[in-house]
Amino acid sequence: MIGLPANRLFCLVLLFLFVPAAACGAPVTRTLSAAEPGAGEVFDVSLSIDGIALGGVVETLPAGYAFAGTDHPDDRVLVRGQKIGFTVMNDTRITYSVTAPASGSGDITGTWEDFLGESDGQVAASHVAVDGIETAAESAGEKPAAQEAASPFAALAAAAALLLAGWGGRR
Amino acid sequence: MNRWYLLALLLLLAVPASAAEGIPGDADADGTLARAEYASAALAYLDAAYMNGAGDLDRDDIRDAAWVYARWDGKPREVTDSTGRTVTLYRPLRRVVTFSGESLETLRSLGFDMDKVVAVDKYSYEKETFFPGYQEKANVGSIWSPDMEKVLILRPDTIILYATISTAACDDIQKRLEASSPGIRVLRFDCFKPTTYAGEIRTIASIIDETERGEEFASFYGSTMDRIRDGTADIPDDEKTRVYFEYWFDYTTVAASAGYNEKTELAGGKNPFATGTTEYPVVDPEAIIVADPEVVVKLAGQGLAVGGYAGHDPEALDAIRSALLDRPGWSRISAVKDDRVHVIHSDILGGAQHFIGTAYLAKWFYPDRFSDLDPHAIHQRYLTGFQGIDFDLASQGTFVYP
Repeated sequence: MIGLPANRLFCLVLLFLFVPAAACGAPVTRTLSAAEPGAGEVFDVSLSIDGIALGGVVETLPAGYAFAGTDHPDDRVLVRGQKIGFTVMNDTRITYSVTAPASGSGDITGTWEDFLGESDGQVAASHVAVDGIETAAESAGEKPAAQEAASPFAALAAAAALLLAGWGGRR
Repeated sequence: MNRWYLLALLLLLAVPASAAEGIPGDADADGTLARAEYASAALAYLDAAYMNGAGDLDRDDIRDAAWVYARWDGKPREVTDSTGRTVTLYRPLRRVVTFSGESLETLRSLGFDMDKVVAVDKYSYEKETFFPGYQEKANVGSIWSPDMEKVLILRPDTIILYATISTAACDDIQKRLEASSPGIRVLRFDCFKPTTYAGEIRTIASIIDETERGEEFASFYGSTMDRIRDGTADIPDDEKTRVYFEYWFDYTTVAASAGYNEKTELAGGKNPFATGTTEYPVVDPEAIIVADPEVVVKLAGQGLAVGGYAGHDPEALDAIRSALLDRPGWSRISAVKDDRVHVIHSDILGGAQHFIGTAYLAKWFYPDRFSDLDPHAIHQRYLTGFQGIDFDLASQGTFVYP
């Protein structure tokens, strides 16, 4: 039954539904120089920006992690607690440094806005843990939409759809 | 609640977000949004929006600031509308109300984000085929009977009215809006006149920062109109095709001051009834027979009744034509004898699409001179390439017959 074309199509539709936007076309993506820094280690966070001429990015660091500097122009950066705001003016990359605490883990989350394109969204969360040790500490920010889209359920559903589609294709 | 109290309340609420003159973020109020000012404004916005900071710029403000900074080089834009009035724009158009279907159509031709049109006139609202989905926008009535309360509730930043027709009604709307909503932008364009349309296309394109698209559309429009003008330029006056153009109403023609006469003459037609001051004079039936027109053109489309974008209905236009042929004495008219009696729908001759209708007229008046002119193809390209609507002329709508 699963091999029927309609069922295979259904599986592919499921696949497209559950492979989230996080996997394709996000204008802002984040990479870390170290996801498991040592205690007190300074690591770099790099934001890659694609297609935003004028806009902004606001990053939220997990509790205990501290902003340590950036190469972004001073007049386009604002730090308030765990949040760091950057204005984007034709930038394609923003790099900033973070000092890790003695211990602790959490997510670096972010929000972007494209003022000219009149759109906004979440930067997919990046998990950090000092020495790779998970603690009960929560991320200072709210769980972003992109992260929700990439939830375990979605991943599971996507994997199931792939398997079913593949199985159907062999019959 | 007392109606007057309600209106007063509306007036208080009606001042649109962009009413204050000045570019958002222009901290020193010198009329230019410098790079540092923009950067500071953007940071202040992010602070207020996401970082629990204080600030008075909202999302529309920063988006408008970004637009002015990026697209207008940080300066306000001055535009002169078709009344000759210069309007200074400190922000882009964000909440637009159009009282003119022709301007609405032109905005769509130019690629404007039509979601920013928050309300339309009642006639555009009723054109479900040509303006599909616009029934979800507010209907603010006509220029003769505007729903001013609804306009005010919508908090528009820009109103578009006609420039040179129904001027008393449009002047009144403008006066009332400017009194109640300081800073509101009232722009006036016709968008249906061959003499001014190309310029209006460019002006509106400049306002919405779609100059490239404006040039493309103006060139498309101009190439048709130039082809018609060039194709008729060398015809001596006494050799021009005699045309009886009949308005929607029987035995009512068009005189020199009527827009339809302008298009008839552009296409090389000679209107024997062009004299006189009445725009749409009633003519003596016998005078038509005496004038012996070589071509008869009958206008269809009154009240959206038949044809046009409303439906594929060639029988209805055929019936209109047959009624003309059956008129007493018309069998003696050259146009009838030569089978040159045509029906044209006002959808393609009266408004922004006049270039399509004028192309049909030229082809009917001078089939040899305009053998290469294809009004049907021009029409389809306009709909698909500029209006962006899914409308197949092969099976939808009826605009000319035969």
